[in-house]
Amino acid sequence: MTQLALQHYLAVGAILFAIGLIGFMTRRNLIVMFLCTELMFQGVAINLIAFGRFWGNLAGQAFVIFVLVIAAAEASLALGLVVLLFRQRNTLDADAWRDLKG
Amino acid sequence: MQDLWQIQYSYLIPLLPLLGACIAGFFGARWLKGQSHWPIWIGVGASAVISISLLFSMLGLWKVAGHEKGASAGHAAAQRSVAAEAASEEPPLAYNKIFFHWITAGDPSGTNSSKFFNADAGFLFDPLTAVMLCVVTGIGFVITVFSAGYMKGEEGYFRFFAYLGLFIFAMTCLVMGNNLVMLYLGWEGVGLCSYLLIGYYYEKPSAREAAKKAFLVNRVGDFNFGLGIMLSFLAFGTITFFSGTPQHTGLLEVAQAPLTAFQQHALRWIPFLLMFGAFGKSAQFPLHVWLPDAMEGPTPVSALIHAATMVTAGVYMIARCGTLFVGNAAAMNTIAAIGCFTALMAGTIALRQFDLKKVFAYSTVSQLGFMFVAVGCLAPVAGVFHLVTHAFFKALLFLSCGVVMHAMAGELDMRKFSGLKRVLPKTRILMLIGCAALAGFPLITSGFYSKDEIVAAAWEKSRFLAALMLFAAFLTAYYSFRLYFRVFEGPEILPSPPENAHGPGHGHGQADGHDAESAHATGHHHNHEPWIMIGPLVVLAIGAIFAGFLNFPERARSLGGFLGQSPSFAQSFNVATRPNVANGRVIPPLPFGQIAAQEELELADKDFATSQHSLHRMLMIVSGLISLLGIYFAYLMHLKDRTAAERLANDFPAVTSALEHKYWIDEIYQNGIVEPLRALGRGFFAMDRIVVDGIVWLISFVPQASGFALKLTTQRGYLQGYAVTMLFGIAVILLVVFL
Repeated sequence: MTQLALQHYLAVGAILFAIGLIGFMTRRNLIVMFLCTELMFQGVAINLIAFGRFWGNLAGQAFVIFVLVIAAAEASLALGLVVLLFRQRNTLDADAWRDLKG
Repeated sequence: MQDLWQIQYSYLIPLLPLLGACIAGFFGARWLKGQSHWPIWIGVGASAVISISLLFSMLGLWKVAGHEKGASAGHAAAQRSVAAEAASEEPPLAYNKIFFHWITAGDPSGTNSSKFFNADAGFLFDPLTAVMLCVVTGIGFVITVFSAGYMKGEEGYFRFFAYLGLFIFAMTCLVMGNNLVMLYLGWEGVGLCSYLLIGYYYEKPSAREAAKKAFLVNRVGDFNFGLGIMLSFLAFGTITFFSGTPQHTGLLEVAQAPLTAFQQHALRWIPFLLMFGAFGKSAQFPLHVWLPDAMEGPTPVSALIHAATMVTAGVYMIARCGTLFVGNAAAMNTIAAIGCFTALMAGTIALRQFDLKKVFAYSTVSQLGFMFVAVGCLAPVAGVFHLVTHAFFKALLFLSCGVVMHAMAGELDMRKFSGLKRVLPKTRILMLIGCAALAGFPLITSGFYSKDEIVAAAWEKSRFLAALMLFAAFLTAYYSFRLYFRVFEGPEILPSPPENAHGPGHGHGQADGHDAESAHATGHHHNHEPWIMIGPLVVLAIGAIFAGFLNFPERARSLGGFLGQSPSFAQSFNVATRPNVANGRVIPPLPFGQIAAQEELELADKDFATSQHSLHRMLMIVSGLISLLGIYFAYLMHLKDRTAAERLANDFPAVTSALEHKYWIDEIYQNGIVEPLRALGRGFFAMDRIVVDGIVWLISFVPQASGFALKLTTQRGYLQGYAVTMLFGIAVILLVVFL
């Protein structure tokens, strides 16, 4: 078994980011779209951790913990908003809010 | 000279009226109300006291200097040829009092590369200033006293007095300023006050129009005056009149020194530019149209600003800057010609005016023409002398007009009343004195002496000019007595009380209209002549009679001799007698007030001097006869047979129409200047609306249209669409960064 190199971590991060991006662009369900943005978040976080470990400093990991805390707070807020939006139109379809374009 | 306390404290002369104006203006509306005249009375009165005591102190100094000169006459006789030169070389009666440097620019070391501009807040004290100051503050004070009676109960009483104080401030700055910029400051200040006071009844459209007209017409002149000041600085590097130093750096002094080619060229144009400013302010021919309309203002304003003081500023300015003018024969001839033309034109218009104030307005224009003829004929003393006498009798006439207007409930049309000698007995006598002085009634009135000197000066220049001036004097006598006979003599006719006598625009208080009406209703004789109004008139009447003796002919110690001590007069005489200027014509020194030189002349050419004297005496007789003839004609046409004038007018309908329409000059200006300019303005307005606004609209249309296009194509509300766009954008940025 070979040692896991930096490239592997970066590849996982990139894949996670790409899955999230594609999911965001193809799905219309608000909750799924939200989950996809979380995936993109994690992809970036993995990148940060990988680089932090590679360079042997803790700044990257500390930063990721910080990002996760923010993401948790943001997730609670976003899900609350989704619930409110659902109550307004009785659907989770993002296209239901097209008239907000002005 | 500088030790005089009046000069040490001379800053009080303009500042006290200004202070009074501030008090009346800021506290008048709330607290002073009907007592608003007090700060102005006190301020202007104190200025008048300082000015008059300054005049007497200077007269005293002049006497002392004269005695000293007399004591050394024995030595002077030996060097007679240089005596006149020496007398004019060191003008003993002039002092430059500088308070601080007001505007400075450039390099004070005075190298050629950069000029040093310096306008001091300073006053020049010489006989001309002292005489003008006495006229301005003295007559100003008398008129403020009258105004308190005349304006009683008017709306904005405090405003009127605040403006009057401001006017006296500006006018004293004008006559005291020791440089052209100070003069210009006062010049514009009096213009502003004139504007404000003409528009005093601003509810009345005609008053607003008249105020605007006066302001705009004056701008034309003032623009040229400003150019003249700039050109003077450019050519001579200074705008201070008189330096008082041995280096002779003042503007009036350098003009007589050897000149460079550029300076000579500039001297060809400076007089014309300055002259145009004087024509605007003093209402001479092309720019005279504002003065008759200015009669919309309250009558004391017409007396003070538009007859006695402000309108004479042009004459003062030309007399003050004499050295710049006298060397330029073309300019002097132009001044004389314009003055003569204006005197005749305004004099003829006055023949067919029926509004009392309009008659006197045209008369003022005409008399100012006389003054311009005097300065144009190298006789500034005669011009200033007429200025002084005219100030007295014209102020008297206007104020008498005010009394009549007061009594007649604002009616000023002389066709509507007649024979007022029973109603207004005191005013009748005062008006008679004023009319006699204006007409130049021989020997006992001031107007006779001053007008005669002008005719004599014109005679020196050209016989034809003198004949025209005599004709103008005849017109003056005729129209002034036409007015007097119409208004005060003949059968008594009183105007029926106008229904809208309470309107604010009638130039009289509500209470006065009421008084006149009640007097009519009951037939009870009401006192229309309160002493607060008659008292000032008596003072002016005394001046109108006796001011003429100030310059009694052939008296050594006269106003002329005193004025001759002024550097302006002495040095312009020097310039005028330079050989290349005189063109072989002998320039008599007396019109410049050069008494010493007059004695010289008599010794040098006794025959010439005596022939001059007999000529002068003959002209006096002729002008006296002409004045009497004018009065006699007025008596024939307007008292003996009142219909005669109308019959004569009907015989010449074209002439009558021309006179009644003031030669259509207003119409010519309206159609020739105002309307084309208005059309041009409309054109520019359309241009602004269509072209400029169109371009602005077009520019605002571009983002609007592109926004609309984006709204239709990109911003459709699909969240995914936005995500794709963002992704695409980031991709582009990354490509640009990394490739």
